[in-house]
Amino acid sequence: MKLTTLSLALCTTAMATAAVAEDLRMSWWGGDSRHAATQAALEVCGAKYGHTISPEFTGWGGHFEKLTTQIAGGTEADLMQVNWPWLSFYSADGTGLADLNNHADTIDLSNWDAAQVEAGSMNGALNGLPISTTGRLFVFNTTTYAAAGLDLPQTWDDLIAAGPVFAEKLGEGYYPFEAGGLDAALLMTLYGTQATGKALIDPDTNEIAWTQDDLVNAINFYQTLVDNNVIESWRDRAADGNVPLHENPEWSNGQIAGTYQWDSTYFKISDPLADGQEVEYVDLLTQDGQRTTGIYRKASMVFSISANSEKQEAAAEVLNCLLNEPEGVAAMGTARGIPASATAREQLLSADAIQDVQIEAQAKVINAEGPAIHPMMEFPSVRSAMVDNLEMFAYGEIDAETAAEEMIFAIQEALEDIK
Amino acid sequence: MGGDSKFLGLWYVAPYAVGLLLFTAFPFVASFYLSFTDYNLLSSPEWVGTDNYEKLFTRDRTFNKSLSVTLTYVFMTVPIKLTFALFIAVVLNDKLRGINLFRTAYYVPSILGGSIAIAVLWRYIFAQAGLINMIITAFGGEPVNWFGDPDNALVTITILRCWQFGSAMVIFLAALQSMDKSLYEAASIDGARNWHIFRYITLPLITPVIFFNLIMQTVQAFQEFNGPYIITEGGPLKNTYLLPLYIYDEAFKNFDMGYASAIAWVLFTIIMVLTLIAFWSSKKWVYYAGDKRD
Repeated sequence: MKLTTLSLALCTTAMATAAVAEDLRMSWWGGDSRHAATQAALEVCGAKYGHTISPEFTGWGGHFEKLTTQIAGGTEADLMQVNWPWLSFYSADGTGLADLNNHADTIDLSNWDAAQVEAGSMNGALNGLPISTTGRLFVFNTTTYAAAGLDLPQTWDDLIAAGPVFAEKLGEGYYPFEAGGLDAALLMTLYGTQATGKALIDPDTNEIAWTQDDLVNAINFYQTLVDNNVIESWRDRAADGNVPLHENPEWSNGQIAGTYQWDSTYFKISDPLADGQEVEYVDLLTQDGQRTTGIYRKASMVFSISANSEKQEAAAEVLNCLLNEPEGVAAMGTARGIPASATAREQLLSADAIQDVQIEAQAKVINAEGPAIHPMMEFPSVRSAMVDNLEMFAYGEIDAETAAEEMIFAIQEALEDIK
Repeated sequence: MGGDSKFLGLWYVAPYAVGLLLFTAFPFVASFYLSFTDYNLLSSPEWVGTDNYEKLFTRDRTFNKSLSVTLTYVFMTVPIKLTFALFIAVVLNDKLRGINLFRTAYYVPSILGGSIAIAVLWRYIFAQAGLINMIITAFGGEPVNWFGDPDNALVTITILRCWQFGSAMVIFLAALQSMDKSLYEAASIDGARNWHIFRYITLPLITPVIFFNLIMQTVQAFQEFNGPYIITEGGPLKNTYLLPLYIYDEAFKNFDMGYASAIAWVLFTIIMVLTLIAFWSSKKWVYYAGDKRD
């Protein structure tokens, strides 16, 4: 009888295991360190639940286009890394992605606070679980600043004063900061946000919150940085073609000594540094009479499950393993920043798996104040409205007033499209 | 299915026909329909009539800029590339030692040309501290801002395209090698010099091949994407923002598939009109075997 019961139990277990073992796909974007960590995590989580998970990973460039095309064709991966602002595009009514509330028995949702759950919810459906919170911070190369005999800047005036010192002490081709393309547009936005106390686009009204004069001041500030040798001119920066910062040798060797980046991209920008080059995050620079620190903070990204997937439960198991369970958390580490999941954060902190620099950067992001960010700020139509007109201004094709006028017109047109 | 079945031929062409219908004809017709809709990929297309075309021709400055850049690019690229390909083909038509090695070497860029790696390589070669500027400064010149200067960026992309002259060159070479040698001998006996032989014998007899290469290279130039996308992303000031990049951005960044389809159809129409003009003009300058003209 005992033998029969044991046989039955073994048979049932085997059948159960066989029943849940699935072939899954997971997609994400990132750099090499994230790719390696995620593949390691998928191996341990797959082994734990008996699933086979095919990784599909790319760089940031083109991922939005790829993922959207897949979702439109119903061929997206079962488990996906999704940028937070994309949720409103993919699932405005909450049905475009799986509702993770339906898998609450599998995913331990108690690891996220109410605000984080709200950030990942669309129309009441939990479409994405925040992986981490991120914000744009200033990163400076301490080695180069020391060579110039300067302390790291704390105010915009400090930064502007550093430009001529770099030129004088370090020579031509050395800059205390960098900003081109989107980074220049976001830097300009930060300056304006601090001055006005308002985000460029008001998330409550879907309207532009700045006046044209506010925008003109912010645009002129960009030119101040160029004129004082703080950043390379747009024309000079474009001379190397379409090269991202972390692939730029001038960043690696310390000729460019500062940037404005997401804190979750620490490894991406610190890994390429040459031996002897050190970087450090600092608080957002301040200006006289500012009305807010102006932090640009958001859920850095979320994990979502495809609404079209027939293996949602298996995907939920893997998702929970990656975000909450010891094996997955240990393998994933901080490849996506400091985890939003309380359990994962505690595990990594107690294992000393989070570097001090990341903890400090995260604290700066969390503690800084700033107005809420409108998801449209990350949409290509709004971004190109800002970047294209700032570029025209930078090349001297239009003046600041015209650039501001054109930006407002183009952003309003983009906002009209979503109404 | 017997060997004498009257349907046997249909079976043979079926794989191609199905592929053509599914992957060419259907998207072709669908894109025409979509060009009259507002379609963001994730929801159903909504009929908007001619709104997309009206916006394109009356309010879209980016389209005007992109069209102007594209036409400039095509009218620069095609003549330079064809001239260079013909020149190299004439050189390689001689019986030189190791000629096969040279023929292969000149064809290699065309095999590699469409790859992303070559576009990245091009970016490094023409960068501020790249190989080209190193050579210029070694001879005492000033470095050139190839990608950041709006006047130079399109030229740099054009050079990349022209560098991939191999396929046109091979077709020219085949034409040159099939020439009737007795015509050259007769001309030489009559005292014709090399240039006259080339101008009055070779060139007229290869006009069908020039015409073929002209059409193919024009169509390909209008569809150029990889080079400007990887190297400059359409900048600076949209001076390398060719229409295929604009179509891509509208379709896959702004997710306005209806508008992107409208641009694609305008591009198709331009290519078709230019091709028809080329065919019409070919009656005046292309000579085929048995032609009775003087």
